[in-house]
Amino acid sequence: MSDAHERRLVNDDGSAFERVSAAVVGLGVLVFLYATASVFGVTSFETEIAGVGLATLFGIVLCATGGIVIVLGVCSRLGWVDTTPNETVGLPVSASFGVLGAIAGSLVGSQLLGGGAMVWLPLTALAAVSLVAVSVLPREDVGSTVPAGGIAIVAGVVLLGGVVGPEWEWNPANLEATFHAPLVVGAMIGLAGLLVTWAAATASAGFGSRGRQSGAYLLMGLNALAMVTIMAALVAFVTLKGASKAFAGIEIGLGVGPEIVGLALPIDWPFVMNVSQGIYVDIPGVLPAIMGTVWIVVGTVLFAVPLGVGAAVFLTEYAEQGRFTRIVEVTTNGLWSTPSIVFGLFGAAFLVPRFGNTNSLLSGILVLGFMLLPLVLITSREALQSVPDEYRDASAALGVSRWQTIRSVVLPAALPGVITGVILGVGRIAGETAPLLLVMAGSPFPSDTPGVFSSFEFSTTPPFVTNDALLTAASALPYQLYATITAGVGAQDAEAFGWGTAFVLLLVVLSFYAVGIALRAYFRSKLHHE
Amino acid sequence: MSFTNSKTTRIVRSITGTDRVALVAGSVAAVCLLGAFVSFLVGSSLTAVFVVGFLLVVGYGWYARQALAAKGLAFLATVSTLLTMGLIIVFVLREALPAVRYMGPIDLLLLTGEPMWRTGGEQLYSLAPAIVGTLIETLLAVMIAGPLGVAGALFVSEVAPSWLRAILKPGIEILAGIPSIVFGYLGLVVLNPYFASSSAFGLPGLGSLLAVGLVVGVMALPTVVSVAEDAISSVPESMKQGSLALGATEWQTMTGITMPAAFSGISAAVLLGVGRAVGETMAATVILGNVTDLPTPIFDAFDNTTTLTSLIASQYGNASGLHVNALFAAGAVLFVTVMAISVVSQYIERRMLRTLGGER
Repeated sequence: MSDAHERRLVNDDGSAFERVSAAVVGLGVLVFLYATASVFGVTSFETEIAGVGLATLFGIVLCATGGIVIVLGVCSRLGWVDTTPNETVGLPVSASFGVLGAIAGSLVGSQLLGGGAMVWLPLTALAAVSLVAVSVLPREDVGSTVPAGGIAIVAGVVLLGGVVGPEWEWNPANLEATFHAPLVVGAMIGLAGLLVTWAAATASAGFGSRGRQSGAYLLMGLNALAMVTIMAALVAFVTLKGASKAFAGIEIGLGVGPEIVGLALPIDWPFVMNVSQGIYVDIPGVLPAIMGTVWIVVGTVLFAVPLGVGAAVFLTEYAEQGRFTRIVEVTTNGLWSTPSIVFGLFGAAFLVPRFGNTNSLLSGILVLGFMLLPLVLITSREALQSVPDEYRDASAALGVSRWQTIRSVVLPAALPGVITGVILGVGRIAGETAPLLLVMAGSPFPSDTPGVFSSFEFSTTPPFVTNDALLTAASALPYQLYATITAGVGAQDAEAFGWGTAFVLLLVVLSFYAVGIALRAYFRSKLHHE
Repeated sequence: MSFTNSKTTRIVRSITGTDRVALVAGSVAAVCLLGAFVSFLVGSSLTAVFVVGFLLVVGYGWYARQALAAKGLAFLATVSTLLTMGLIIVFVLREALPAVRYMGPIDLLLLTGEPMWRTGGEQLYSLAPAIVGTLIETLLAVMIAGPLGVAGALFVSEVAPSWLRAILKPGIEILAGIPSIVFGYLGLVVLNPYFASSSAFGLPGLGSLLAVGLVVGVMALPTVVSVAEDAISSVPESMKQGSLALGATEWQTMTGITMPAAFSGISAAVLLGVGRAVGETMAATVILGNVTDLPTPIFDAFDNTTTLTSLIASQYGNASGLHVNALFAAGAVLFVTVMAISVVSQYIERRMLRTLGGER
């Protein structure tokens, strides 16, 4: 191993070998990306380039790259290039090849040859065993390239020979699904491309441990790329679909908007400022849902933050670490992972009957507050624990009492962590739907907003304070989206309304997250500078 | 015995050590709070009186003995988390009990003869379809989120250059925040028609466990990545350096040193993903047709069935009587499952911290 670098320095033959394998890697990644895109319907195999169908083109590319990869392996085996292969490819790789072989064997046996269990069972076993043998018996350079290249060539031949044409389909007897050509061809090309790319990447670093690393890094990089792409595509897709609906009819100018406290806003944004249903409403909006979400956020923060921070202070500053703190910890983590629908059931059984037996905003706030509580507790506890003990010791050395220390030293130092934790928790709460269905939801398209401020009433008999707005059903952004899905917006274009709602919801939730994460990064960098 | 004794004496000493004003105020506050809780439970309007009394006493205590009042309030906040858990257990189980009594625990979970779910006439509630649906959905989701999530975490923490990591880490965390209903809407409007079209599977109806499994798997991915990434980056640098100094490649170090050392943390991350997949409600409710039949054959992921969560969410609105109890039974099964997963993953995590001996 140690002389690998030296040899690479003096050896010129290797560079051609490396260049060829790097080219195959590039080609393979392209094939894989295109095949994936076609599975998602972004591109199509019907396209023709220079009079040749894309499927045919891919067949040729797969055959060629497969062949090149095999040649690379054989060159290395015959000692024409300097490589450092291991004795075998190892069990995980050969097992993967075996599984692939088994799948291919069973499909060919049961579908193409149309035989019963007597045909496809032996064929499956044969294909699996032979692929394992081909990969595990020879030295690594042959063992990794020949099966990968072979599979690519078989896939290429299947495409070129027209075995799987555009009209091809496979209807397994005992499944509900029919496998149609576009998806199957895309998956096959993608898989074969991936295999060839992996083998070429292994070859480009001269096999051996360095080759394995290069192959593994390639797969991991592709995986990360795919993950980021999918997520970014999701956000972009919702924006694309929803933004035009959400921004429709915006007017900016002095006094065009609705009045708030006697002052007309300088902007009229129908989708955000209109109610969802009413006689004079041209563009149905999501104002009631937005206000519902605002009240939920305010209410849950008022309910859960004092409790969560208080509990975190008690656990870190007062309690002795022992059985009690451990029980609380296990309970908190349990609450954190309790499904939201169970919280909803709990609210329906515990809160709803005690608040007049109807769904109400207050029940929704309390249930979501119960959900926010463990989030605030966990993050606050982390923040308090990360306050250095020197702070406490220094304060105690000055003769300051424990409570004074907590109030003026520990809590201010932990405040950034607590705030970011609360913001991230609120982001999660704002997108929560399931409990609202059970405890808060009312009209799917409300025509008014909850007027919490204006409905406070005081009396001298218990319960002293009443608030009708808190005790009636309300909407919220995620529930609005659900209601749109189940009910439709009447004559209006339901799907566009749904996309608009989804866009606004995404905007609200992701801004909470973005602000929380940015704040945390800012506080951390400040901490490191000090 | 001596342990409890010393504890009792300590408590007694701390009580006798406290001055009388604080003692009286504390006990009045405790009585008020207890009264408020009990009267809230029985639904009495006296609740408000007790709450006002409690607030008055606390206000006085804050004015007179701030330090003690703060400690007491912090203790109450701690108790409130335990209380929440206790209330959830009591209320969900209590509401589930009539359904368990009606069906019998075995039939409730395992009855597979047709029909399995009848809300009118001779009522029949078997959770078997929902349990099978949840199992298949979770299995599919974990097959996606597990390996890809762990590979992603390894990439973010060990392979990616620092500028890329600075983008990827917060990016993945933000994506964990996409609300599940948005995922559900995407699945409903995009994935369902695609799976039903003649370029993919040509499914007869909209909605399949495969679609739900895919969507939930992608949803759980960011969670698995962040938690597994935390576990991987908590492996002490000295262990990796030692391996690299012996001439091992970075990949060999990852598979031979880092992954085994972080194994508990990684499995806790995957378990957390399992928990999320089991408890995921909205995506399943929106995408699935929520028919209460077993898939035929039972492993047919292309079939349209229901999950425990979507059963509750889709039927609670128009359920009454025993039907509601049956839905609570589904919730109880869900709760017990997720709680078991949570406790196991916490145990694994604690063991990892012990074996690694890392600072906490």
